[in-house]
Amino acid sequence: MTAADTPRPDSPGEPSPLPGTAVEDEPRRRLHPLSPLLSGAKSIAVIVAALSWQTLSQVGVERFALVVAVGAVGVVIFSVVGWLNTGYHVVGRELRIQDGLLWRRNRAIPLDRLQAVELRRPLLAQLTGLAELRLEVVGGGKTEAPLAYLTVREAAALRERLLALAGRTPGAVDRAGAEPAAGPPAERPLFRVSNRDLVVSQLLTPQAFLLPVGVAFVIMQFVLEGSWTFVGIASTVTAMAGVLLQPVRRVLQDWSFRLARDPDGRLAVRYGLLETRSQIVPLNRVQSIGVTWPLLWRARDWLHMRLDIAGYAGPQSNDDKRSDRLLPVGDFAAARALVWEVLPGVDLATLETTTPPRRARWLHPFTLKSVGAGLTPEVFVARSGVLTRELTMVPYARLQSVRVLRGPLQRLLGLATVYADTAGGRSGVARDRDLAEAWWLAEQLSIRARHARGQPPAVTAVVAVTPSPLQPEDDAYWRRPQHP
Amino acid sequence: MTEPSAPAPAAVDPLEPWPDTVTWRSVSSKLITVELINRAIWVIVLLVALGVADAAIDHWIWRAAMAVVLVFAAWRSIVTVRAVRAWGYAERDNDLLVRHGLVIRRLSIVPYARMQFVDVTAGPLERAFGLATVQLHTASAASDARIPGLPPEEASRLRDRLTALGEDRAEGL
Repeated sequence: MTAADTPRPDSPGEPSPLPGTAVEDEPRRRLHPLSPLLSGAKSIAVIVAALSWQTLSQVGVERFALVVAVGAVGVVIFSVVGWLNTGYHVVGRELRIQDGLLWRRNRAIPLDRLQAVELRRPLLAQLTGLAELRLEVVGGGKTEAPLAYLTVREAAALRERLLALAGRTPGAVDRAGAEPAAGPPAERPLFRVSNRDLVVSQLLTPQAFLLPVGVAFVIMQFVLEGSWTFVGIASTVTAMAGVLLQPVRRVLQDWSFRLARDPDGRLAVRYGLLETRSQIVPLNRVQSIGVTWPLLWRARDWLHMRLDIAGYAGPQSNDDKRSDRLLPVGDFAAARALVWEVLPGVDLATLETTTPPRRARWLHPFTLKSVGAGLTPEVFVARSGVLTRELTMVPYARLQSVRVLRGPLQRLLGLATVYADTAGGRSGVARDRDLAEAWWLAEQLSIRARHARGQPPAVTAVVAVTPSPLQPEDDAYWRRPQHP
Repeated sequence: MTEPSAPAPAAVDPLEPWPDTVTWRSVSSKLITVELINRAIWVIVLLVALGVADAAIDHWIWRAAMAVVLVFAAWRSIVTVRAVRAWGYAERDNDLLVRHGLVIRRLSIVPYARMQFVDVTAGPLERAFGLATVQLHTASAASDARIPGLPPEEASRLRDRLTALGEDRAEGL
């Protein structure tokens, strides 16, 4: 209600005839008329899954079909009513979404808080030419405001418009209005993962190795017991598929993975076979990058990279739902080039880390050499893991807070762990550093974060930043060739 | 990688690491009473439950459980005194420092610029003793800047100062 009363100078992309008139000219738009059917189809699948094979065997096929049909009709009616009550429009620098049947919800999303926009097209949506637009905003445990579904053209146009609005500073004059007519400007492709590599990489996972064992187990069971009921086989296979088909799911999800820079310098990530996803991430929204070298990929010298964006839920959330891939599989050279693109000035090959002091081997008897942390001019680097090596890069500018923890054993040994928290849900962790070094690290992290945020450092009266003989610029301490 | 790790950088005097050169402010010692009463309530609830169980089914295990609860409560009560003294906070020019914990000692450094919102809460028991808890939230769920046991005027002063500084230096993400 507020935007209607106050004239906004920066109401963008709207053909408001007079600068003084109210901005709520833009009509509330509906989602595509097919959306209730599509979202209903999803619910029907859930119903069927909930009824399970067991029920099918008990009630027979006709009853089962009847139950599903009744459920389907109910779901579709419910979805249609929901669709009638759902609408969205852009007001000023906000996207407003109304939805809800009993509990009406009118949500305003300030676009300058937008983290990433993703265009998702599940199989059914691909067949009907529709797409789902998902906005990532900070603070939600899940993706807020998925607009399902719009036509692809509409979704792409809305995404462009939202991103254009999000990228501008509040006082800027609107100039982006006329641009869409010029056609989509050229993107600069960055990298493409070959599907052959993807398949091979997913075959080189523990689950893929377990698959033959699992199949053999099922066959053995039935041969020995001699009970060849259809339902028995089907339920066993379904149960196993959940775990063992993870590699297959990954292949389908990451199929034809492409990365590009769009004309405005944002990162465009596209992938998927049955469900295609096309994600656009402004580079200043990247909270951290994680690099992983799985054990089984070591023969091929492969790694995968993860991009953390604020708004996607924490590390415990379901891996399949997150759109955090920067590189599903690739060699070191590709990863190095990509890291350079996403975090300019960061060279994966020259990131040095130092290991904790030798006395920390009481806490890491075998893995001491694999643990490390380091400060480079742009990012905080932490690595860990012997079999599956991992490396996390946190740009100083994205640091949210710094924590120092000392457990009882660590205090006995004079050690401390430093956490660099980001909004992406994962923290960079410097494990078991020498206590004095940990204090120094924490202080350095907060000073560097302040500088990176572009603030003039206020004079700190309490803590003097003592010039260290071992500043990171001095190669002696931090520069030690040990890239993974 | 094969070399022994380098000595710690001599940025700070090892005898006087910087967290100790900061002037820490401690929380109100009334928090000890609040915590003790809080624990006492729980202990009483547990003891009553165990007593009822004992009356219903006569078995030595209930009495053993009561003894365990009492011993545990006594031990925790002794620890509480030190734990409350271990809470401390310091306002520096650009960030808020909070330290707490006895077994696991934690220090959080939260820049004012990263503040998303400030919570001031007070439970019934805290209110009875004139205490409040101030918590600073950032965009990261892992950030941990909670200061319990503040007198109300100090809590509102801290809240106002934090919000003022946060507005000055706003840079949420």
